[in-house]
Amino acid sequence: MTPEERDALAGEYVLGTLDAREAAALRARLASDPALREAVEAWERRLHPLAALAAPERPPPGLLNRIESTLDAARPRRRALLWPALTAASAAVAAGLALLLLIRPEPSPLMTVLLTESDQPAWLVEARGGAISLAAVNPRGIAPDRVAELWALPQGATAPTSLGLIPTEGRVTVPPGRIRPEAGMLIEITLEPPGGSPTGRPTGPILFIGRLMPARGT
Amino acid sequence: MNSLLPRVARGDRAALREIYEAQASRLFGIALAILRDRDAAADALHDAFVKVARAAGQFDPARGSAEAWLAAIVRHAALDLARARGREIPAEGLPEPAEEATQLHSLASAQDGVRLRECLATLEEKNRTEILLAFVNGLSHPQVAARLDVPLGTAKAWIRRGLLSLRECLA
Repeated sequence: MTPEERDALAGEYVLGTLDAREAAALRARLASDPALREAVEAWERRLHPLAALAAPERPPPGLLNRIESTLDAARPRRRALLWPALTAASAAVAAGLALLLLIRPEPSPLMTVLLTESDQPAWLVEARGGAISLAAVNPRGIAPDRVAELWALPQGATAPTSLGLIPTEGRVTVPPGRIRPEAGMLIEITLEPPGGSPTGRPTGPILFIGRLMPARGT
Repeated sequence: MNSLLPRVARGDRAALREIYEAQASRLFGIALAILRDRDAAADALHDAFVKVARAAGQFDPARGSAEAWLAAIVRHAALDLARARGREIPAEGLPEPAEEATQLHSLASAQDGVRLRECLATLEEKNRTEILLAFVNGLSHPQVAARLDVPLGTAKAWIRRGLLSLRECLA
């Protein structure tokens, strides 16, 4: 496909004139075709002001409740696996620790898997002895003018703490002392300008996110 | 608004409600212009907000405003519904050609709208009409062709030409 064709197709997609099959085919390519993604984003920016031509209209009452019901119903798929497992695991670990303390003083490691937006595993995260180590299992590149920054958000904290910039593949270890890993802590990787977030808080999109929990069977 | 989406990405339901309260009327209007059916537009807004809750982490303020990001999600949700219905959507409620001048006028008050309006004004009228009908009212290639009473290939070519001129003008 020539750049001209790609751009015209992206323009027609944003305009909305592609039929169902063409639109689905374009969407399927977006994930693996950064140039197409750029072209679509550029057209969204160009044409966005036209959205103001639609007259605002109050949606039917109850729609927000319906949206929240759908989200609540969808939650078990992602969360119920996590939370009951976390509680059960915590209890098991607590009970196990009492027995194991004499044998193995080292606390159980915390683990999580950071997922991509399509729920593919991207990073294995393990926290042990105060250090957090990451291993990429599904490396994917990012734009050359951006960097990936690692963050941790302890439960109850309002702002995440930066754990530094990281390569987008390979292994990374955050030494003990930056933050104390604990069960329930959110670990996330965001896309930031070169040098990292200028504000000390995440400014770019979240590439990957996961919640630390005690590993069972260790 | 830009600070709410990262909170939504972390599962903050209050942030999602705040976005809904602030944006629902604007976004429902966008879906309604495309679907021209309140129930269908409500379905589109529902689908869009479920997507927003799931995909909020992908929002990148360096690449555009939260308002534009939300509007794009709603438009594509509405277009998907329109496609699923075979776009058998009543033509009533579509703006008459005379209304377009007023429409374009309101564009000037929109943020970033002035430049786009100037560029739209440089297009041939038929190209401009098609682009507005497609973007705002979700008309497909065949629907645009039928409305302007030209063959499908002609309508497609006009739209491509219109988009190309717009891109050059906005560059």
